[in-house]
Amino acid sequence: MKFTRRDLVRGAGAAALLPLFPRAGIAGDWAAVEAEARGQTVYFNAWAGSEAINAYIDWAAEILKARHGVTLEHVKIADAAEVVRRVRDEVKAGKAEGSADLVWINGENFRAMKAEKLLYGPFATDLPNFRYVDTEGKPTTLVDFAEPTDGLESPWGMAQLTFFGDGAKISTPPQSMDELVAFAKAHPGRVTYPAPPDFHGTTFVKQALIESIVDQGLLPLPAKDGEFLRAAAPLFDLLDRLHPHLWRAGKQFPQSQAQLKQMLADGELLMALTFNPNEPANLIAAGALPDTTVAWQHRAGTIGNTHFVAIPVNSKATAGARVVASFLLSPEAQGRKADLKTWGDPTVLAITKLSAEEAKFFGTSIVPGVVTEPAPALAEPHGSWVPLLEKAWLESYGT
Amino acid sequence: MKNFLNSFAGFLPLGILWLSPLAAGLVAVLYGALDEAAWLALFGHPQLWPGLALSMGTGTLSLIISALLAFWIVAGLYGGKLWPGTSGLMGGFLSLPHLAFAIGLGFLITPSGLLARVIGSVAAWAAPPQWVTTQDPYGFSLVTVLVLKEVPFLIWLISAHLARPEVAQMLNGHFRVSQSLGHGGASVWLRVFIPQILPRLKWPLLIVWFYGASVVDVALAIGPTQPPPLAVIIWSDLNNADPAVNARGTAGALFLTAALGCLVLLFMFLKRATLPSIWRFFTRGPSRRRTPRITSGALLLFFCAVYALVFAILCVMSIGTLWPYPDLFPSELRFSAWAQFLMSPAPLLNSLSLAVVSTLAALALAVFWLETVPEKLDAVLLACGIAALALPSLLIADGQYLAFLRLGLNGTWLGVFLAHLTPVFAYVFIVLKGPYRAFDPRYRAVALGLNADNYRFWSVVKLAMMKPALAAAAAVGIGVSIAQYVPTQLIASGRLTTLPIEAVTLASGGSRPLMAVFALMLAVIPAFAFIIASRLGRKPL
Repeated sequence: MKFTRRDLVRGAGAAALLPLFPRAGIAGDWAAVEAEARGQTVYFNAWAGSEAINAYIDWAAEILKARHGVTLEHVKIADAAEVVRRVRDEVKAGKAEGSADLVWINGENFRAMKAEKLLYGPFATDLPNFRYVDTEGKPTTLVDFAEPTDGLESPWGMAQLTFFGDGAKISTPPQSMDELVAFAKAHPGRVTYPAPPDFHGTTFVKQALIESIVDQGLLPLPAKDGEFLRAAAPLFDLLDRLHPHLWRAGKQFPQSQAQLKQMLADGELLMALTFNPNEPANLIAAGALPDTTVAWQHRAGTIGNTHFVAIPVNSKATAGARVVASFLLSPEAQGRKADLKTWGDPTVLAITKLSAEEAKFFGTSIVPGVVTEPAPALAEPHGSWVPLLEKAWLESYGT
Repeated sequence: MKNFLNSFAGFLPLGILWLSPLAAGLVAVLYGALDEAAWLALFGHPQLWPGLALSMGTGTLSLIISALLAFWIVAGLYGGKLWPGTSGLMGGFLSLPHLAFAIGLGFLITPSGLLARVIGSVAAWAAPPQWVTTQDPYGFSLVTVLVLKEVPFLIWLISAHLARPEVAQMLNGHFRVSQSLGHGGASVWLRVFIPQILPRLKWPLLIVWFYGASVVDVALAIGPTQPPPLAVIIWSDLNNADPAVNARGTAGALFLTAALGCLVLLFMFLKRATLPSIWRFFTRGPSRRRTPRITSGALLLFFCAVYALVFAILCVMSIGTLWPYPDLFPSELRFSAWAQFLMSPAPLLNSLSLAVVSTLAALALAVFWLETVPEKLDAVLLACGIAALALPSLLIADGQYLAFLRLGLNGTWLGVFLAHLTPVFAYVFIVLKGPYRAFDPRYRAVALGLNADNYRFWSVVKLAMMKPALAAAAAVGIGVSIAQYVPTQLIASGRLTTLPIEAVTLASGGSRPLMAVFALMLAVIPAFAFIIASRLGRKPL
């Protein structure tokens, strides 16, 4: 119940924020925005580690060009942190015309950009398609890692930590950290996770923190340097028990989730993890994994969050960027994104808010590899835990 | 006065396009490192010392093994039937960039790779073995890649040196004298030839040493991860969102450079301290030991086999869309990765345009300098060029990023071009200088005597005679530009993507076929340039 309480608090906070962004007169304003956007080029800085994502952005670019005269350029980046650094440096150097117009972002990077006033807006709640967003059912569309979005970023997709492996080789998937330790013990060298500060690796460690910490009430609060080590002691006990049974005895770790996936496909590992619950099904559809692949979440819940798009303060195509952001929220774009055959990224919209016509963009087929027993989405710990966790992890296991 | 003006004119374009970006980068990185907190953070980094040890260790070990193998092969083959082909072969091997090679070799030796599949199919393994090959904690796979790549480079350099008529003549003489004194072939190489050739190679050896100790892209693809080499730690710091972490990266780049400097000082000290005993060893003898022809031939064959295998793996991998363990051959062959590559040609076009324009600019700058500046100043430029190549590219690129930020050059084609020109010009000048300065001035007298003016002599006679050298320099320039990862990633700021940037992204785990396509393209373009260059070089005037 403790998570429900927090969700309620967040929902209330979010609802309280809404009146700050008046929605009157949007139609007229929006026509002006669309007119200004026509002919603009929007440099969309988005992580490009997956072909499915790149192909989806290419698809969006074609439609935006045809319908709105906006040229969407996908700037392929490995980590959104690069963009934060670049925008900060550009602003510091007094460069009014920045190199990024739209950035795929959440969590720490959003917190940094918001705190340093590197973001344009608020704009998100004024987007015509924002009305479909499931702000009640998915409170993380308004609160990003304990940080209110304040309309400075527009939700794009949902994520939840999910594990997957070949059902033909795994009879009972481990559905908690303790079960994972036992599983790794039974299959030495066949389980691992990416080394933090890789995003997926950090998420795994945060999941382990949530499952091991004694006082859950500390998690939504800023972590204090002095208390941290005491609070996180059970986490490092857990990792100490887990690591000797991992791949290469926990002395080396893969660099990325993509590498983990490849190692699973090659049979070097028995399981991998993802932040997209639909990715395993997607990989089966693409022929990269056998169709005996199963996906699961930890029984008591796994970390979930929303990912967003934001507009840097020095963008030179803010109108174009808003048109892109709104299109990405359209039932058509969200439906295609959720489709396992294209990307399989869960939608941020409330299907109940859509008309029957609009809801048709969302298919409802059950395919192999989907999570059969969805678990609750747990809130991210406060962002200040992350640097402390990463540093402590590096000191314990990085040398 | 006229002389001075001439020199100044020769200096001007070079100063603007090459020297100032280099100097600005070095100044900016020093300025950026004036940050006490960054140094404290660096020395508090738990991976600093193990990472430094890894960097120093992999760099030094790869240098020693590469030099030993290169001399072993040269000593065994020089003057034999295989020798004339060896040098050309090494040029071909050179054109395969480190990164492409690491990607191909990685798929050969990784626990689910081809080697394990071959053994597994015989031994009937159910799952891939738990080998510690790629990303091994001590960096041995990194050293292997470096050695396999540097040996051809060193042999190519040695053969270029030995091909000079005066050197060949002198060595012949020395050989006969030593033989009369009872020295076998191996003894002559060890006691006479190597002590003469080694000092000539000191700068290339230094470049190889520092490259191995500061390489980023290869280490990302195949190097150890926990801890990674210091260069990789610095690299992730430089790409972090937090400016304090960026500053730690800048301090780290400077620290790595200083550590390399200390390593060289240590080496020089050791050399001086042990020189008498080395000298005694070299002058002892004679020994009748013959040159190791068979082992050298076998080594050459081994290199050919590895390069052929890596190339073949990359080719098959690029069309093998479905190739799960333990299949020895893909179950499905499709050209979809190639189609995908051609559908979004931006990385290819950017790489090509940067390579061609930076190489042409470097050639023009080098020729302009060589025509207008007296030879005695060459040494100064050469020193700058060697500095540009030997200093870790992390250091120069980070400095240029910081400097270009103020000029608004980051994220522009021009900025990336200037960053590429830094190493490209240095290589082009080093390759071109020797042949260009050796041009016999009497040709000019003849041409002027035949009523040709200076310009006509230069454009018609001299350029034609210099064509092989110019073509060779151009091929080197293109190869160098195509392989640039660190400066491109930093200066392009995501605005421009090139072949190595895509390849590194894919090497951390993406579509294998697409990764193979990028690796092959990284190799094909420089190889093409080398083939054209050697054709041009052979054409009679």
